[in-house]
Parts: sequence; structure tokens; C-alpha cells
Amino acid sequence: MFDFLIDGFGVALTPLNLGLAFLGALLGTLFGALPGIGPINGIAILMPLAYTLGLPAESALILLAGIYTGSEYGGRMSSILLNVPGDAGAVMTTLDGHPLAKKGLAGPALGLSAVSSFIGATVAIIGLTLFAPLLAAVAVKFGPAEFFALMIFAFASMSAMMGKDPVKTLIGAVLGVLISTVGVDSGTGVLRFTFDMPELYDGIDFVVMIIGLFAVSEILLMLEHAFRHDAEGEMAPIGRVMVKLSEVLYCKWSILRSSVIGFVIGILPGTGASVASAVAYTTEKRLTDHDNSFGTGNMRGLAAPEAANNASAAGSFVPMLTLGIPGSGTTAILLGALMLYNINPGPMMFREQPVVVGGLIASLYIGNVVLLLLNLPLAGVFARVLQVPRWLLVPSVAILAFVGVYQLHSDLMAIYLMLVIGVFGYLLRKFGFSLAPVVLGFVLGGLMEENLRRALSISGGDVAILWQSALSVGLWIAAALVVLLPLAAGRLKAKLMEKAA
Amino acid sequence: MTLAADRILSLLLLGLAAFVAVQAWQLEVPFSYDPVGPKAFPLILSGLLAILAIVLFVRPGASGQWPTGALLLRLVFTMVLLGLYAALFVNLGFLITTALVSVVIAWLFGATPGKALLGGVLLAVGSYLLFTHALGISLPVGSWIEPLLGER
Amino acid sequence: MPKSSSLRRWAGAAIAGATLMAGAVQAQAKPPECIAPAKPGGGYDLTCRLAANGLQDADLIDEPMMVSYMPGGIGAVAYNHVTGVRDDDPNLIVAASTGAALNLALAKFGQQHSADDVRWLGALGVDYGAVVVRADAPWQNLGELMAALEEEPSSVVIGAGGTVGSQDWMKAALMAKAADVDPRSLRYVAFEGGGEALAALLGEHIQVFTGDLAELKPQLDSGEVRILAALSEERMAGPYADIPTAKEQGFDVEWPIWRGYYMGPNVSDEAYQAWSDRLRELSETDSFATLREGRGLFPMARFGDDFDSYVKQQVEDFSQLAREVGLTQ
Repeated sequence: MFDFLIDGFGVALTPLNLGLAFLGALLGTLFGALPGIGPINGIAILMPLAYTLGLPAESALILLAGIYTGSEYGGRMSSILLNVPGDAGAVMTTLDGHPLAKKGLAGPALGLSAVSSFIGATVAIIGLTLFAPLLAAVAVKFGPAEFFALMIFAFASMSAMMGKDPVKTLIGAVLGVLISTVGVDSGTGVLRFTFDMPELYDGIDFVVMIIGLFAVSEILLMLEHAFRHDAEGEMAPIGRVMVKLSEVLYCKWSILRSSVIGFVIGILPGTGASVASAVAYTTEKRLTDHDNSFGTGNMRGLAAPEAANNASAAGSFVPMLTLGIPGSGTTAILLGALMLYNINPGPMMFREQPVVVGGLIASLYIGNVVLLLLNLPLAGVFARVLQVPRWLLVPSVAILAFVGVYQLHSDLMAIYLMLVIGVFGYLLRKFGFSLAPVVLGFVLGGLMEENLRRALSISGGDVAILWQSALSVGLWIAAALVVLLPLAAGRLKAKLMEKAA
Repeated sequence: MTLAADRILSLLLLGLAAFVAVQAWQLEVPFSYDPVGPKAFPLILSGLLAILAIVLFVRPGASGQWPTGALLLRLVFTMVLLGLYAALFVNLGFLITTALVSVVIAWLFGATPGKALLGGVLLAVGSYLLFTHALGISLPVGSWIEPLLGER
Repeated sequence: MPKSSSLRRWAGAAIAGATLMAGAVQAQAKPPECIAPAKPGGGYDLTCRLAANGLQDADLIDEPMMVSYMPGGIGAVAYNHVTGVRDDDPNLIVAASTGAALNLALAKFGQQHSADDVRWLGALGVDYGAVVVRADAPWQNLGELMAALEEEPSSVVIGAGGTVGSQDWMKAALMAKAADVDPRSLRYVAFEGGGEALAALLGEHIQVFTGDLAELKPQLDSGEVRILAALSEERMAGPYADIPTAKEQGFDVEWPIWRGYYMGPNVSDEAYQAWSDRLRELSETDSFATLREGRGLFPMARFGDDFDSYVKQQVEDFSQLAREVGLTQ
């Protein structure tokens, strides 16, 4: 039954395709590393090239898949080095990745995230190879009611991130959800909070939002630190460059758990790397963060979201290859690329186009090995970005932010919007807010509202639909547990302490 | 002003909550297939925000350090500079605007004028080459250049 | 470092920069461009690529056509851009579809914009609406489904990839109207795009999906879905030959989804004519037919003034329809 995979390796290991996998991995890493230019744009930019070169379908797909996986690797670099996430899945990576860099551990952080990414992707690709058709059947069982329950679970998981200032965390999340309501209402077509500006009809674009929130506000904060000559903005000198085996082993269970979480969430159509990395991060914080060091540069806090976002990238191939339904924006554009080659992805693809499917999956295996080999030794080189003097680094961040938004929108309004959001982000950070709850509220809130309303339109208003399936009941229970268990555990611990005393 | 910052924030948030509520209330919905409709979510959120803002007003945190004087001026100047960058990006073209903005930012961050000039120009040219030639991203050339091409 | 040397270096860099700039400018002597008024990966992207790849394969353009993206306002941002900023660019075409005509009819591009504001260039292909159910659904033909709808409109859960007022919704509303049911009394669920709606159909969350015909080919091939009706004028050929139209089952509902292009309002007649000839020539080549089929489109060939009047008529019809289904006054 794995004939297609053996044939696939035959296809993927030809010199041309191997070269393309390498090229894709390299370009993808570069695209991902530049904030705003994520996998979607990388593929959109290179698709015409693949077509112009007259590459056969499987070769084109191998190149594009290489870019996709490569940019998931690259997305973490600016998160760790600059505190500016390169794409949606890399937002959580900033939380512990950047503090590590500040401690002088940028090299090991990059190395660890490469290893976590590799393991995450590999677990997911094995899952894809073994269970794709089976999983696809389960994935469609996720209807609006189940998605709503999943979002409740995700919000409940966020309670782990409350930290020292729960009120501001909650305010941040509410603001994020509010921002997600801007635009054409997906149910009724009514315009909400658009103020007659057509640029806002489609809602606030995710890339504009994170580049504004993180990159623009970072520029202002760096200016402040430079002006005051305070220590907060200073980086510790770069210490050792390679990640230690013991550090990887310290994170091994976090990586494996997060890989599974990422894969499962990646399979569901409509949720992507951002949800996957958020759930993985909060789960690990809850399970392993005994000394409350998540957010201050804990290796596990870095490994978890990295494993998860790469696993979800591979997971989103499942609905695309088996159902013909894209699980993410990136697979949507890969689907488009396939259609240019007269291939309709879908239930018949495994049977009708085994060479293409096999070649693609094989190239995912190969691409990941290539990426690991590429990224481990390069960690030290990339870490040197931190040694670039401020007066060169800051204009570079500004250029990247502008080019990223401009090539995505070809429209100046989007850039102005980014600047406004940047000031907003700066103020939030000055008031002591963490940006992660805002981003999570933005991502999860939109999904939550849409799916609640879809579920209720299906049932004709009967709320019972929200807990009718076993899946949703399970998610509700899980949501209750993640909130209640830590409280109970805390009580228990206190009691034990009392007894011990 | 030890406790003031968070209190000012909470008042701003209350204002925002009121604004959101009024805007949401005024939405005209021809008809909706779900009982929730487009109004409910913003209204609930504005209520939540108002409650949280009141909690924040009652129990504000420490105020942190806010920019004043010369620093504030520099921050505002930087935002104006970035706004100008956006405004001139298409008409003047990527190379010129990027070089100008990079030079000024470099200078703001303490580079000597010579270094700032050199760094700014190199950054502009280098990033232009990277984006257009290596990555295939098209950037605005500048509308003032187009007539020189003799087309249009 | 002595000052003179840093100055000399700077001068060198400036010269290098100037040369590069001149070179870059020459290299960018205005290639043809297609704006997809959406993010990469959607239908508009593919519409642009259809022209870009087709024209290039058929050697109808000297330089590869550039595809750029201008998402926002369901196409309104691009419409504003072309009517306001690049209103006379002879090398620019913009992807459009039936959806753009519908948005114009519903004044979603703003009250100030009408279909007369641009020059409609031509269409290279068309898909048709389809009424789809799962293979194990109780309804064998459109008549049975319509009878069920007539009896109790809320007994059938219909879902599709667009909000109230979108194309997908219009298909459902027109069906309801054909069954003498008020579109407001339907049970309609709006998803984010056809893919999610299809997933919901396969997962038994909705019972009927008002999608697009060619889009459904993979699921049709695998026998997972049954297409009760094609919303086309006549039966389509090939794998769709067994699918009856709504019309032949006694329900007068049609929904063609054309894929075409428009240009700025002040583009010269020569440029407009040249583009329309170019597209017409393209549509007649064999290599394009393969490309079009791969994209899942049926033939449609309307160009120039013929297409212009077709779109304007369609916008008027849609305004009328919108009033009939209760969407506008």
C-alpha cells in the first residue's frame, strides 16, 4: 500500500527534484525570515517562475512545498532575534525565543527551534503518510458546533497565560476579539466598524496587524532605549552558538506532545499554525512550567510552538490531498498551483496521481532533512544579526515592514493602517500589556463568533447543538479541566505543604 | 503620577466601549439567519471591556516610565517620518524614499552623518537588489521616472 | 577612519547605486500587468494567471505578464484604484467575475461607483452554479428537494461559501423563489469560501450546498456527492452530461459565473481594442482550451463592446433580482 511512497522517493530523489527541494528550502527560509513575506507570498511569487520554466507538475509541487516548509522554519528567526514574528505561526515563538536571545543564547535558541521544527514536521509527515485518508474522514466531523467548542477550549487554555496581570491580559484579549469584528460580517453581509473605508471591508489583515503591533512598536521602543541608554534594550553578548543535546533532551516530551497537537489542529480545515502554536504553548506551560519561567526564556516555551507550527503546516496537507479542501491559506494557493497543471486534488488523487502525491510526500521528508542540515550550522551566522548596530538594524526593520505590507496589498492605505496599529501596539506595551493575548483574541475571536453563529443557523436557534456530538462534549470537558485542574492542584499542593509543615 | 497612567487608560477604554456599543447598536441588519446576528458580539465585548476598565480603574498597576520632552519629540518625529515614507513611497519610488528614511533613522540612532549616509544608501540599494532580483518582488520605481521612459 | 576615505567610499556607493537604479528602471519598462483584487490563491488569482500563462504560451505578449494583488473591500479597493489612479494605463487589466457585477448591482463598491466606470474587456471562461447534496441524501432530483422546501422551508439546511447578498446566497435565494418560498425563511449557513462549505456537506453538518459545477469534479468522480441540478442554460458535456439543468426540471434558475477582465475608464480605444483582440485570439488557440479546462472553466467568448454591454445588462438584471428577493428596496 506504500507503493506510491516508494515511487515518490524515486521521483523526489532525481537530481533535478532534489535540487528544487534544496532551492525551495533555501528560498523558503529567506521568505519566512523576512517579516510579512510568509509562505503564501513566497509561493505566489514563485509560482509563475515554476510555470515559466516549464517544470513538470511534481517538480513544481516539490519546489513550492519546499518553500512552504522552509518558510515555517524561517518564520522563527525574526521572532527570536528581533521580537518581530515573521508570520502568523511564529507569534508564540517570540514569548520565550526573544528572551533567550537577550540572554545571549540566540544561537542555541535558533538551533533548538530548528530541531523542534524538524521533529514536529517529521511526526506530522509520518502521520500524513500513515493515516491521511482516515484522518480526513474525522476532520469533516468538525462542524461549526465542534469548532466553537474548540475555540472555547483554546480560550480556556489561555488562562495559563494570565500571569501577574490578569486584568490586562483579559483586556488585551477583548481588544483582539474586537479588532476581529471589523469588516463585512460573514453571516449577514453587514459592514461593521468600517467607517465607509473599503480597505476595511475585508477586515484587518493579519499581516498588517502583526507587523504593525510588533515591528513598528519595536522601532519606537528601540528608539526609547537608545535615547535613555538603558539596559533593557541591550543584548547580552553572543555566547555559545550550538544547541546542546542535553537542552534538546530537556524539551523532548514538550516537542513530541506539541508535534501531535500541531498535527491534529493542522488537519482541521480553517485553523492553522497560529492556533496550533498557541494551544501547544499554553498546554506546555500548564504541564511543565513549575517555576513560572515561561515567558522569560524557557527552552520548552520555545520548542513547543516551533514543533507545533511546523507540524500543523504538514497537517494541513491532509484535507488538501484527501478531500481537495485547503486547510490553510497556504494550501489554498498550492491547490491553485495544482489546478494550473490540470490536477484536481481530492479523494481520487491518491489513485489517479500517485506519482504527484508520492513525490510531494517524499519531498516533504527530504525537504525537512535538508532544512535541518541547513539551519543547524547557520544558526550561528544568523545570530550575528544581533551584532548589527542599531542604526543599521532599525532602518532594516522599517524597510522590511513597508515592503512586506506593500507587496501584499499594493495599496498605501494598508501601510497607514500598519502605522496606526503600530502606535496602538507601542501604547499597549508601554501600559504593560503583553501582545500575545491581543493576537490570540484576534485569531480565535473571529473563528469563535463565526462558528457559533453558523452552528445556530444550522439548528435554527437551538443552542443544544453546541453540545450534541461526542467531539464537542469532549472539548467542553477539556476546556473545563484546563481551567479547574490547576486550581484544584494548587489547593492540593497548599494542603500538602501545610501537612509537611 | 504614580497611579495615573492606568486610570487614564481605563477612561479611554470606557470611551472605546461606549463608542463600540453605539456603533454596534446602529447597525442596520436587513435580515439574519442566526439568532445572534452581527450586533451581539460587539455589544457583549463592549460590556466586558467596560467591566474590565472599571476593575482597572479601581486597581491600577504601576505606571512605568513615559516619554517626555526630547524623547517624546523624537518618537513623534519618527512616526511622522514613517508616515512621509508611506506617502512618498509610490511617487518618489522605493530607492529614493528608502535611502532618505534610512539615513534619517540611522542618524536618530546615533550614527555619525557620514556613516548614516553610507549605511542608508547601501541599505536602500542592497534591499532593492535583494527584493527585485533575488526574490522577484516588484517595488515602486517612482512615478517621476516613468515619463523619462517615454511611454504612457 | 580618515574622513576622506569614507567620503570616497560613499561617492563610490552612490555611483553604484545610480547605475543600478538606471538598470533597474530599464528592466522595468512596463510589462503587462494583471491585478487580482484579492489575496493570492483565490479565484481572481487564477483568473489573472489564466490570462498570464495563456498569453505567454501563445506568444501573444512580449514580456511575461505580472500578477499583483490588491485585496480589500471584496474588490472595491482595486475598482477605486483603476477608476481613480491608474485610469488610463494601457498595460493594466483587472480580474473580475459575476461576483463583481453582483457587488456593483448591490452598490457594495460604494454608491458613487457603477458598472459604467470601467471598460469591460472580455471573459475567457465560465463556470455554473450547482445544487449539490451528499450521495446518501433522500432527494434524487431537484423536484423532490424543491417539494421538501415548499412544504417546510426550515426543514432543509442549506450552506454555501458566502454571506447574505453573495453569489452563493443568490443561488439559494433564487431556488427558494422558484419554489415560492421567501428566501428569508430558509435555513442558510454562510461559510468562509466554498471549500469550508463542501467540508460541512461531507461532514453532514449541512444538507444542501449551492456551489459551482466544475469545482465539484473531484467529489463527483469519487461518488461522494450528487449534483441535483446545474444552473446553466444547457447541459454541459463530458463528465457533466448526466447532470440535468434546473430549467429542464421545471425551475427557471440560471447562474453563470464568468471569469473576465476590465480596464481603466480612460484607456485609449486602440489599447482597449488591442487587448480585446489579443484575448479573442487567445480563446481560439488549442493550448488555451487545455489550460481553461484545467482551471475548471467552460468556454465563453465575449469580448470588447459585446462583453461590455453583457456586463452592464447583467448588473441591471441583478439590481432587479436583489429587489425581488428582498435584499434591497
